[in-house]
Amino acid sequence: MNGIVGASAQRAGGRARVTGAQRYLGDIHLPGLLHAKLVTLDCAHARIRSVDTSAARRVPGVALVLSAADLPQPVPRFGPQYRDRPVLATGETKYHGEPVAAVAAQTQDAAEEAARLVRVDYDELPAVCSLAAALAPDAPLVADPALRPGDPLAGTNVLHEHRYGWGDVTAARSDLVVAGRYTFPMVTHFAIERHAFIAAPDGDGIRIWSTIQHPYWLQRIIAELLHLPLAKVQVLAPDLGGGFGGKQHAKYEPLVALMALRSGRPVRLLLTLEETFQAVRRTSAEVHVRTGFRADGSITFREVDADYLLGAYADIADRVVGKGSYTSCGPYRVPAARILARSVLSHTPPATAFRGFGSPQVLWAGESNMNEAARALGLDPLELRLRNLPRRGEVFIPGDKPADGQWDQTIRKTAELIGWGSPLPPGRGRGLALGLKSGPTTGLSYATVRLLADGSVVMSAGTSDMGQGARTVYAQLVSDELGVPMDRITLIMGDTAAVCYDQQTSASRSTVLMGNAVLQACREIQAKVKAMAVRLYQVGETDVDVAHGLVRLPGRKVPVTDILGPGLGPLGGEVIGNGESRKEAEPGHPLSGSAAFYEFNCTAVEAEVDTGTGDVALARYATVSDVGRAINPLQVRGQDEGAAVQGLGHTLMEHYVLAEDGRIRNLGAIDYRIPTSMDLPAELYSDVVENADGPGPYGSKGMSEGALLAVAPAVAAAVTDATGAVVRDLPLSPENVWRALTQRALTQRALTQRALTQRALTQRACTADGDLMKEMRDESHSES
Amino acid sequence: MTHTRTIRLTVNGTTRQVRAEPGHTLLDLLRDDLELTGTKACCLVGECGACTVSMNGRIVDSCLVLAAEADGAEVTTIEAVAAGGGLDPLQQAFLDSGAVQCGYCTPGQVMAARDLLARVPHPSVAQIQEAMAGNLCRCGCYRQITEAVQAAAAAVDR
Amino acid sequence: MQGFGYERPHALARAVALLQAHGSQAVLLAGGTDLIVGLRERRLRPAVVVDIKHVAGLEPSITRAGGLVRITADTVLTDVAADQCVRSNFPALAQAAAVIGTVQIRNRATLAGNICNASPAADTAPPLLVYQAQVVAYGPGGTRRIPIDGFFAGPGLTTLAPDEVVTAIELPVPGPHAGSAFGRLSRRRGADLATVSVSAYVDGDGATRLGFGAVGPRPILIADHSGQLADPAGRADMLARLVRTASPISDVRASREYRMSMLAELSQRVLDAATGRRAEGGRR
Repeated sequence: MNGIVGASAQRAGGRARVTGAQRYLGDIHLPGLLHAKLVTLDCAHARIRSVDTSAARRVPGVALVLSAADLPQPVPRFGPQYRDRPVLATGETKYHGEPVAAVAAQTQDAAEEAARLVRVDYDELPAVCSLAAALAPDAPLVADPALRPGDPLAGTNVLHEHRYGWGDVTAARSDLVVAGRYTFPMVTHFAIERHAFIAAPDGDGIRIWSTIQHPYWLQRIIAELLHLPLAKVQVLAPDLGGGFGGKQHAKYEPLVALMALRSGRPVRLLLTLEETFQAVRRTSAEVHVRTGFRADGSITFREVDADYLLGAYADIADRVVGKGSYTSCGPYRVPAARILARSVLSHTPPATAFRGFGSPQVLWAGESNMNEAARALGLDPLELRLRNLPRRGEVFIPGDKPADGQWDQTIRKTAELIGWGSPLPPGRGRGLALGLKSGPTTGLSYATVRLLADGSVVMSAGTSDMGQGARTVYAQLVSDELGVPMDRITLIMGDTAAVCYDQQTSASRSTVLMGNAVLQACREIQAKVKAMAVRLYQVGETDVDVAHGLVRLPGRKVPVTDILGPGLGPLGGEVIGNGESRKEAEPGHPLSGSAAFYEFNCTAVEAEVDTGTGDVALARYATVSDVGRAINPLQVRGQDEGAAVQGLGHTLMEHYVLAEDGRIRNLGAIDYRIPTSMDLPAELYSDVVENADGPGPYGSKGMSEGALLAVAPAVAAAVTDATGAVVRDLPLSPENVWRALTQRALTQRALTQRALTQRALTQRACTADGDLMKEMRDESHSES
Repeated sequence: MTHTRTIRLTVNGTTRQVRAEPGHTLLDLLRDDLELTGTKACCLVGECGACTVSMNGRIVDSCLVLAAEADGAEVTTIEAVAAGGGLDPLQQAFLDSGAVQCGYCTPGQVMAARDLLARVPHPSVAQIQEAMAGNLCRCGCYRQITEAVQAAAAAVDR
Repeated sequence: MQGFGYERPHALARAVALLQAHGSQAVLLAGGTDLIVGLRERRLRPAVVVDIKHVAGLEPSITRAGGLVRITADTVLTDVAADQCVRSNFPALAQAAAVIGTVQIRNRATLAGNICNASPAADTAPPLLVYQAQVVAYGPGGTRRIPIDGFFAGPGLTTLAPDEVVTAIELPVPGPHAGSAFGRLSRRRGADLATVSVSAYVDGDGATRLGFGAVGPRPILIADHSGQLADPAGRADMLARLVRTASPISDVRASREYRMSMLAELSQRVLDAATGRRAEGGRR
């Protein structure tokens, strides 16, 4: 390597971003563009009686008003897992914000005016917007059972049950069993760039621009919907202004595509920030975890019952549930396990992928559970982790990929950064948690690299760069392999017509999967250059070596750029290399395949709590991830620290507030709070472990989700350490912490009283504070 | 339509005459009428700062300024910050510190940082964080942005 | 936002005439940080927006004449928070002005606009109440002064007549031995609306004025001449009684219960800060 890989090369496209020159989708203007506006109802669930678009059509400048009746019948449905989402609400709206109609007009103002004039006659229906409501025996069904033929669960709001396990949990002998119920709130992605879509008829085909993370997936959906060959559907995906999973799958592109074809004009839909909250969110969850321990802290069994609340349509959220819950035993040796995770539908905005993909929810429960156990056992929480940690190469999920890192190093490095074990100032608590997530289980990436006649390079890769820096990483790889300076490399991305297939940009896969494809493409070029050298210099194959831009011949070295001219000859041309990186599905595997790598992280936090108000102040924060190899250390650090900051959102402040009837009450930036610069921990440290033990280029692993996984349990543990109060429901807002502190004060008073009046406590499985209180509450009720 | 008025304002040093629609904001005017798309739209309620511009010497959320209010005003946007082809040291510092990920909030961040450094040449971390609290970054680059502002402040000394 | 007219009067009389002509169909625009949001959300649908930033006599200024400090209607919060006269004489007001919104918001939002918007959570209201500010208003009948504790009528409502314009806010300079402070709680450290806010003013004799924000339809002013509130050891019972007069609601930001508890907690802290300042030698 010549030093580019492992260096903090400046971000490709960085200059354009700091000068305002970067063109995001919303900055694109097309001649003849029509502006679209959605028509939605202000309720969670309604039966549509009629849609009257006549007044809307009369607004000057309006080109088109569509409702379900104007679409091909039956109304087309789409979705990455189930074809459940109609292009426009049909018969019923099933979540607050589901579009009933759409307007396209010459100006945004006209479109908005017309949208307000669409008269929808509807009956509000009872809505189920929580797990309890959705799982109640007489709950209204979110999905039409007719759309779930042969599904034994069709008469319920349970979309799917995921069961995993091994060993026999009932036979486990434990000295202590720790159990608890944890909840993870409904939160939304809030990318600063809102979702946006443009569709334009293009000859006998169509062109779609979208803030989409998976352009090729979208291409397939549109092609199917419009009965077009893939070759006639071009998806253009400019670099996104943040995605985080919320822009993975088709949302309103099918609608906009139909509007474009119907009107014969380009049509653009820009969502308002409020509309994005109504379009995408993370699955919320209620997780029951029960873990058995021996007195020395070794785990004997774990049971996890996780209910995840999906929205009205599945999107990719059932996969989120299946994949996230699969590793809910955490990065530990667990002799016996039983996991049941359910995807539950509700009349809420469709949950979709969000950084962490189902793992933050189960880790919130599982890692909090570990910390509670440490307290109950009188063990150091760090020691408890090390005691149960699998070694690299050790299987910890039977039949599946072994631990692929020396994870104890990550834990020890974190401990060093935070000063684990050192004395704490009064009033400060310290906590720690681990994060584990499976990387991609299947994948397919093609890369093309073209070494041009003057030694510069054009390359293409179908990855979406949404800020994680994929462009820069690929340029670094090419720069290193071919010895081409970074400023002589152009990357073409985000165009399905010009760039070969990439399955998707998700699961932190791109450095590994596309990176390997890029390397392969470079190696093909090197092989061709080698063949040129053999021909030109009349030497044997074994006498030539091509690496890092140099051709090594007997007795001398020649830069590749010097032989390109003569090598290509009078006709000129270029040297083309193609790479393919493929991870096939494994039939019979519950996730369709084992993970290409695991993301592993340790997070440690020091917090101070204002016991009068419940306010949590983060004094010190350390996060370390096991990354194999940091191709670009500056970007890696930015991803990890950025993930930590993002995770502080659901940890400390973010949550949807729903009215009784299911309407979202805090749409928009005033009443939905995300972290600001003032919410940074006073000290923030991050580091990486690099053992070159990953499957990607130079031993790299994927990263960027790991540092979000353990934020919540680490912070909560620090709060408990500081105050004794245990909080099991996120977010740890000042009010929620205050409630926990108040409860704890009540519990302590009651406990003292109880100890005075009762001599012996019966021996039973010890449950943590919350369950103890419940028992006492029950007892005090029976006494009165 | 009847309330459209012609206004005159100076944008990035050039006087422009624009027809301001009622209900349109300075943000709409900059992006749609003047095609200066560097300033971004996001929350439209003055919380996220993506639309930050300098108006009459102070940073404001352009989504909260009616286009008509900008009649007679002097406005500076992100497009004016880079000096003739090069990069302002502050912009370079953003790149060097890794303060740019998706980049969508970056123009607003640069405008806010630039304003801070003009008022407080050597801001403390607390001052930086407070001054930049009106610029949301969902990628979470706050630490890097703070470092960039500190680096730019130090660069002025040299 | 729907189409509306935009007027930019240069004379106060013209502004008033516009209000008279359009009645409830006209709204005044100063900083716009509340108004524009209201227009965008279509809570407000006026026929005319009257921009008063160019009215002669309303230009931003903070001046002291004798025992009175006068802050004109177009003075923005950035300047209120930074002004030396305000910081030394009315530290609670400077503090409150400094936490509203963000730098961008404070560069536009005016002090007058903050009180005219009359949110029950208006941060400048509790300090203005304890400093006994007066709102100077001009209308067809001329100029009048409205004591601040008679200014707020309810959420979004003031006692201004529909054809009156606030021209300035006047505050009497406190005595040399007074101490005052402001505090508030919010959901996060960055910009936020107040969950609860409190301001306290304690004078040389121990007479105390306490202002509560975000715990009722209007900001609340309480005056105590007994000296009890000024006494850290003796104030608990009286404070508990006073807190119970507040009527916070549960909303998207906080529950009623939390607000009540925090009102007591915050009042203790703010009273301590105010009496502490008094002990330090008054005012600052």
